[in-house]
Amino acid sequence: METLVASTSETDIGITSSISWKIRVRRLLRSSRPYFAALGIGIFFVAWYLLVDVLKFWRFKELPGLVASVREWISLDPVYGVSLFTAKYYENIWASVYRVITAFVLATTSGIIIGVLMGWSRVFRALTFPLLEMLRPIPILAWIPLAILLLPGRETPIIGLTFLAAFFVTILNTLLGVRSIDEVYFRAARSLGFSEWAILFHVIVPGALPYIFVGLQIAMGACWFSLVASEIVSGQAGLGYKVWETYYSVQYETMVIIMATLGLLGYISSALVRMLGNRLMRWRTRILAGA
Amino acid sequence: MQAVRGGAVSVRKAGKVYDPEGLNVVALEDVSFEITPGQFCVVVGPSGCGKTTLLNAIAGFDKLSGGKILIDDEVLARADKAPKPGADRMVVFQQGALFPWKTVLWNVICGPVQQGRLSQKEAITQARELLGRVGLSKIEEQYPGSLSGGMKRRVEIVRALMNDPKVLLLDEPFRALDALTKSVVQEFLLELYDITPKTIFFITHDIAEAIFLADRIVIMTTRPGRVLKTVTVNIPRPRDYRVLTSPRFLQIEQEVREYIDSEARKAFNAGERELAQ
Amino acid sequence: MITPPIPVQMAPSGPTARTPLRRWLARIFTMEFALGVLSVGAVGLIWEYAQPMGIPFIENLPPLSKIAQTSRQLLSSQLYWEGWQYSLQRITGGFLIAQAVGIPVGLIMAMNRASFETLFPIVEILRPIPPVAWIPISIVFWPTRELSVLFIVFLGAFWIVVLNTIGGAANIDPNYKRAALSLGSKPSDMFWRIILPATVPSIVTGMAVGIGIAWEMVVAAEMVAGRTGLGYLLWQSFEINAIAQCIVCMISIGFAGFVSSQLIRIFGSYVAPWQRR
Repeated sequence: METLVASTSETDIGITSSISWKIRVRRLLRSSRPYFAALGIGIFFVAWYLLVDVLKFWRFKELPGLVASVREWISLDPVYGVSLFTAKYYENIWASVYRVITAFVLATTSGIIIGVLMGWSRVFRALTFPLLEMLRPIPILAWIPLAILLLPGRETPIIGLTFLAAFFVTILNTLLGVRSIDEVYFRAARSLGFSEWAILFHVIVPGALPYIFVGLQIAMGACWFSLVASEIVSGQAGLGYKVWETYYSVQYETMVIIMATLGLLGYISSALVRMLGNRLMRWRTRILAGA
Repeated sequence: MQAVRGGAVSVRKAGKVYDPEGLNVVALEDVSFEITPGQFCVVVGPSGCGKTTLLNAIAGFDKLSGGKILIDDEVLARADKAPKPGADRMVVFQQGALFPWKTVLWNVICGPVQQGRLSQKEAITQARELLGRVGLSKIEEQYPGSLSGGMKRRVEIVRALMNDPKVLLLDEPFRALDALTKSVVQEFLLELYDITPKTIFFITHDIAEAIFLADRIVIMTTRPGRVLKTVTVNIPRPRDYRVLTSPRFLQIEQEVREYIDSEARKAFNAGERELAQ
Repeated sequence: MITPPIPVQMAPSGPTARTPLRRWLARIFTMEFALGVLSVGAVGLIWEYAQPMGIPFIENLPPLSKIAQTSRQLLSSQLYWEGWQYSLQRITGGFLIAQAVGIPVGLIMAMNRASFETLFPIVEILRPIPPVAWIPISIVFWPTRELSVLFIVFLGAFWIVVLNTIGGAANIDPNYKRAALSLGSKPSDMFWRIILPATVPSIVTGMAVGIGIAWEMVVAAEMVAGRTGLGYLLWQSFEINAIAQCIVCMISIGFAGFVSSQLIRIFGSYVAPWQRR
């Protein structure tokens, strides 16, 4: 059980061993993991198929069927105009992805800077922490009216809200990360004659990086969450908007496609962040022999 | 043997009280002793005897409440005036403070480079030489996370010595090592001491370790910490593990244990724990 | 809430206070407190006088005094408190169901390898789909609006609960389990006395995070699909351009979220009293 979380948790950041990936794939195939995974996923789809396509009992008859949804997704000429082979699909994807990337980059860079400052300087933290703690509990979606009111145009409110969600999460995790650094490293750095800037670059930032990357993964999830919500409310294109549109026009198969796409994009983006973290934190190697 | 430049430590009536308005915990009371330049001084005592407090006061991580500490006849620490931590009093920490996100080489050279004493190139050359002399050259590019405990301690000692401190402070550095690794690293420290003698201030609760390493042992009582006795260890250097079973060693050990046993029992019965960190 | 973990200086660094009352006051009215008041006050002032001062974005907001006035109005209106009631009902309902389903699922997954390997991939596939995207399907599937809102609240909190439970149960120090086995515990003992208590802190963390997510979900669901509740009120105020009312709703929801998080942490310290900082 001890290895369960280390290898599969969402927040795993780079306990990578130095074994080559070929060996790892071979080990994976020999273990029981992929077969159980297939079983689990299979159960899900079989249940979907049985309950909706075949049995159609109770409310399940209202839901889009598995076969119909998949068929729509891979068809060259889909009934509702959205499939893997249509431009509209990718247009919507790009609209959403563009917003997420913009907001994410802005939020994380500013969030990390502010978080580090807050962790480093008592004065700065005393000035900003109360404000942060007052604004943070307000659900992101509750900001929608203000965002529409204050920010010009159509794109900016959506990006603004997405930014806000990621911003708070990043600051918080960066702050926690800086505070989590063992005091002994600061003492060692001072004894070694590090200037305050040197401490910032060589102790605080690398030391907080694990927490920062956990924060980045959560921030990515928060971005998608607020993006979809704000698109539903005020968008014209984008996956969130499309979800709602397909609901109103009773194109449920397409709705399933969009939902699945959202899930996929969310997973890929989190995975990318995680992989970036693994690269930057190579020093977190698993001690194989347990010294 | 290199000539030793300075590093005389004088502790005069040092006192430390935690939380004087509240719990009034007296960690140190009227502690006085002298360390001559280049001497290997070990402070032994049970938990709660204030040895870490004393080390922190010299290093600059904490303030004394009374008394003074001088280095080379200059006042270093006084009541409510703590010195800034610095490379002249390098510390080797108990739980290890190698920066895990930097390579061994960077860890070793960072002190002189950050202080501006050496350029990067010079520091790397010197570091490689020192690491080579003690047999650690192959691990230069590795990260501390992949080193064993004994290796990490050795690298940390080398890092400390690279800064040419006046006093080397070691805070129970080998506490977490197993007994076999411990004696290897102890011999390692002694080798380095023989090559470049420095004033060393070493604290431990391990009596055998103290006698093996020290020129002089300062035995402290349990809380409130006072100096119980100082013992001179005149076993000749260089020393190796055979010293551990020599008659002279056992004689000194007998002497130290007689003094320390009652203090250890008192600490045990009082449920003493280390307060200072 | 984050407790500022500033390294505790054992000796008081400010003027030493004499009486307990004065010490308590000294601890609260610190520099941190003063600076906090300063920054919040400054923001308040800027907000109030944004219009006459002509500050770009904020001048479009109703000033602070209007907000205060509107709050008084709302606090005495029945609609407002009904909104609280509905939202709270949904939060509690969805949140509790998420705990009731999520904790057992998490525990089973943590203890049984087969169930973990089977269920986790599905969790990882479904989890990234933002719960907001589930709203339409939820409306389609569930017979009543209320149930569909509850489902969304449940879904948001569910993932967090499961992950945190697995994390806590899977990371129990194996030595605790071994000690229990040596002491002769049966599987039921192992579960109720070792695994469950050791997982509680993680579960509580999951709860604290989960309640925050639950509030997000409630607002989302109410804004989009509800007819009652604070979220719905918020959106309505916006639609009729009653911005001040809008802001008061925002603050109310934020306040509610904050209070519920704190309640959970208090609950956590009751349930896991051994976790003292």
